[in-house]
Amino acid sequence: MTEFIVITSGKGGVGKTTSSASIAVGLAKHGKKVAVIDFDVGLRNLDLIMGCERRVVYDFVNVIHQECTLKQALIKDKRYENLHVLAASQTRDKDALTKEGVERVLNELKDEGFDYVLCDSPAGIEKGAFLAMYFADRAIVVVNPEVSSVRDSDRILGLLSSKTRRAETGATPVMQHLLLTRYNPARVVAGDMMSIDDVKEILGIEVLGVIPESEGVLAASNSGVPVILDEASNAGLAYDDAVARLLGQTRAMRFLDAPKKGILSRLFGS
Amino acid sequence: MSRALPSFEPVGELKFGQVGIANLRLKSLDDDLLAQELRQKLETAPQLFQRAPVVLDLSHLPQLPDAERVRAVLATVRASGMLPVGLAYGTSENEALARALDLPLFAKFRAAYESTAAAPEAAAVVANVAAAPPRATPPPPSAARGAAGMLQALPVRSGQQVYARGSDLVITAVVGHGAEVIADGSVHVYAALRGKAIAGAQGDTSARIFCQDFQAELVSVAGHYRVLEDIPADLRGKPVQVWLEGEKLLLARLGP
Repeated sequence: MTEFIVITSGKGGVGKTTSSASIAVGLAKHGKKVAVIDFDVGLRNLDLIMGCERRVVYDFVNVIHQECTLKQALIKDKRYENLHVLAASQTRDKDALTKEGVERVLNELKDEGFDYVLCDSPAGIEKGAFLAMYFADRAIVVVNPEVSSVRDSDRILGLLSSKTRRAETGATPVMQHLLLTRYNPARVVAGDMMSIDDVKEILGIEVLGVIPESEGVLAASNSGVPVILDEASNAGLAYDDAVARLLGQTRAMRFLDAPKKGILSRLFGS
Repeated sequence: MSRALPSFEPVGELKFGQVGIANLRLKSLDDDLLAQELRQKLETAPQLFQRAPVVLDLSHLPQLPDAERVRAVLATVRASGMLPVGLAYGTSENEALARALDLPLFAKFRAAYESTAAAPEAAAVVANVAAAPPRATPPPPSAARGAAGMLQALPVRSGQQVYARGSDLVITAVVGHGAEVIADGSVHVYAALRGKAIAGAQGDTSARIFCQDFQAELVSVAGHYRVLEDIPADLRGKPVQVWLEGEKLLLARLGP
């Protein structure tokens, strides 16, 4: 059974693509057959984060317009052979996507026996974002602990429960999860940042994971290695927990408290 | 000369969605009285009823009229300024009637019909109560409200609008920032109200707003509104009610 998961947020720059890449790798690490699709036609990034930007020959739009086969466009990951990337087109715009085309590609992935298909949504609520969420069974809403991101996520949650195939056909609603990224416990304590409880209270859905703000994320993005593979970074470990929860395991939340500065770290810095 | 580019989009996009449609339930067949009642309705809120789509519900008539008779009723409704667009769902005779008139049936009203069929006596009681106020005085807007309010159990998210036409609106989930909850009657929110709440949307000055956790951006009763740029500290997060006293919109804490 193939599960379609959309990674979305409304607001830009909150970490959708970083999260898509890490969750895709995490699921592949658990032995699942995974495809991750970049819906951000015209502003493609996923290939960079996945480290396969020099191997993009055909893209999602080519497949939709039947200019190549799906097999030709799927880029096999170098680390996990059960992980595939479908890059967005950089030279086209969102209007190159059609609902029928997207549906055909997703159905083909289903026939290929993929366990999970992740749809990395562009920011906004226009066509690209709409098509990324339309066929979803599950949604991971990426949110930063700040008011504008929370409001945009609220809007996206509303669209998920009204503008998706599941909503239109009256099937069981799209399962919704929150993924809190760029969480900085020290700033929460200082009152600069919203806390996980604030966000949960406003949005009213269950939290899949909290990814702490970490220098590892930027370094990982720039080197094309999804941060989940960096076991030295808290962000990587937090993504690992989130993927385990997605697969139904229970893992306690980590990295929610501000680190107490001990005498040693005071002396040597952390 | 210029050839049309191949289009990847269908010419027409077919979508299903809920739309607000007025339901005119006939209790007796009297064209003159109906015309008079509809005219009064239109005068109270012309912008709402003028050219408003309306579904004709014949299920409460003692017996189903024939197609000719219904055509006359439709003409009466049309003459009043509203636009009849179909019949409410009913029995198979009703369906045959709709076919004869070439009008669609609206299935949304099916549940209401069937429940009355199951308990005709209860329906008769309700009908009597509704018919009780003397016809001579123009009915106050609140008399048009349905017996039960509309229930919204899912969160109302930013950008969403929920409108309870002709009734109260009861919400048992959060109303987010930038969401709007509107009712012709009162608005009850048994959770946090962070968006806009509008009660008495058709001018009912007796409508009120109640909420458990007050953080609203705007509250309005019968057109008298207040923008809450700063929520008063004694009301924020507290159970609050909002009502109209004369021309003044009042906000106060509920309970002890």
